[in-house]
Amino acid sequence: MSEKGMVDKNGMRGGAGLSAVLLLVGFVFQWRAMVPAIGAALAIGSLFGLRYSPLGATYRFVKKAFRLSIPVEPEEEPPPRFAQTLGFVVCGIASLLFIPGWNAAGWTLALLVAGLQGLLATTGLCIGCEIYLYAQRFKAHEVQA
Amino acid sequence: MIARIVIAVAVSGATIALAVLWRRREGRFDEGSGRFTPADLGVVKIDRPSAVLVEFYGEDCAPCVTVEKRIGKIAAEVPGVQVVSIDAGARMDVADRHEVRRVPTLFVLDPDLHVIWRASGVPSEDAIRTALLGPDWAGRPSPNGAPRQRVAR
Repeated sequence: MSEKGMVDKNGMRGGAGLSAVLLLVGFVFQWRAMVPAIGAALAIGSLFGLRYSPLGATYRFVKKAFRLSIPVEPEEEPPPRFAQTLGFVVCGIASLLFIPGWNAAGWTLALLVAGLQGLLATTGLCIGCEIYLYAQRFKAHEVQA
Repeated sequence: MIARIVIAVAVSGATIALAVLWRRREGRFDEGSGRFTPADLGVVKIDRPSAVLVEFYGEDCAPCVTVEKRIGKIAAEVPGVQVVSIDAGARMDVADRHEVRRVPTLFVLDPDLHVIWRASGVPSEDAIRTALLGPDWAGRPSPNGAPRQRVAR
């Protein structure tokens, strides 16, 4: 394992659960602003690091406020950060699709993000992280070839 | 509004269904096939152990650390078990030959380095212990002298 920044995987899962719920609520009430808002939160995590993500900060606040004894599960930062970048890009595209009125396409992408975030929250399976690891392996494969 | 609620519930249901499927598969040992060579394991000659645990790990792979801790603990309590860790990124040839699609992937080998079991993800300690002690290894003494039993799938 390399000496890179570590993040709490449970924080990531908590933040993912929150964003999934918010996107679903946004969809039900047609609050289109929710999509760029979640996209912005993911962008902060992607650009500045997950410790600055508002979603993770909310998790830490709730954990502290309710004195939840959820253990810290350290995980290396690059894969989840890449996953947040993907989430930001998809939310960004969804937000752009709302501008000309392509609501169905925009919400489809937003619900895709909600589903994947929900999967991360419930199982710890981070599809974006898996893509990152596959890409790393593919890169290593190319170098060896 | 009702249609949107139905869609939101459907998305949640699909997520939960995927989560249940994932949890069932994650870390489950399945029968493996093929054989490792000492060169695959990065050794010229291997002592004849009771069993070999091969873990494919990767850079940036947090679950690999969990698996490493578990197999380290189990190897300490089961005599004659040899543990080999392989960096899947550095040994792509070996990873490809054994169809390692993700990390961590764990193999349980018999003393002749034939693959008995394989699991992707993070198996529980009990699952690793059972995979080591349980399979029907045609006449070979079971590691640790424990009674034979079939691995629960």
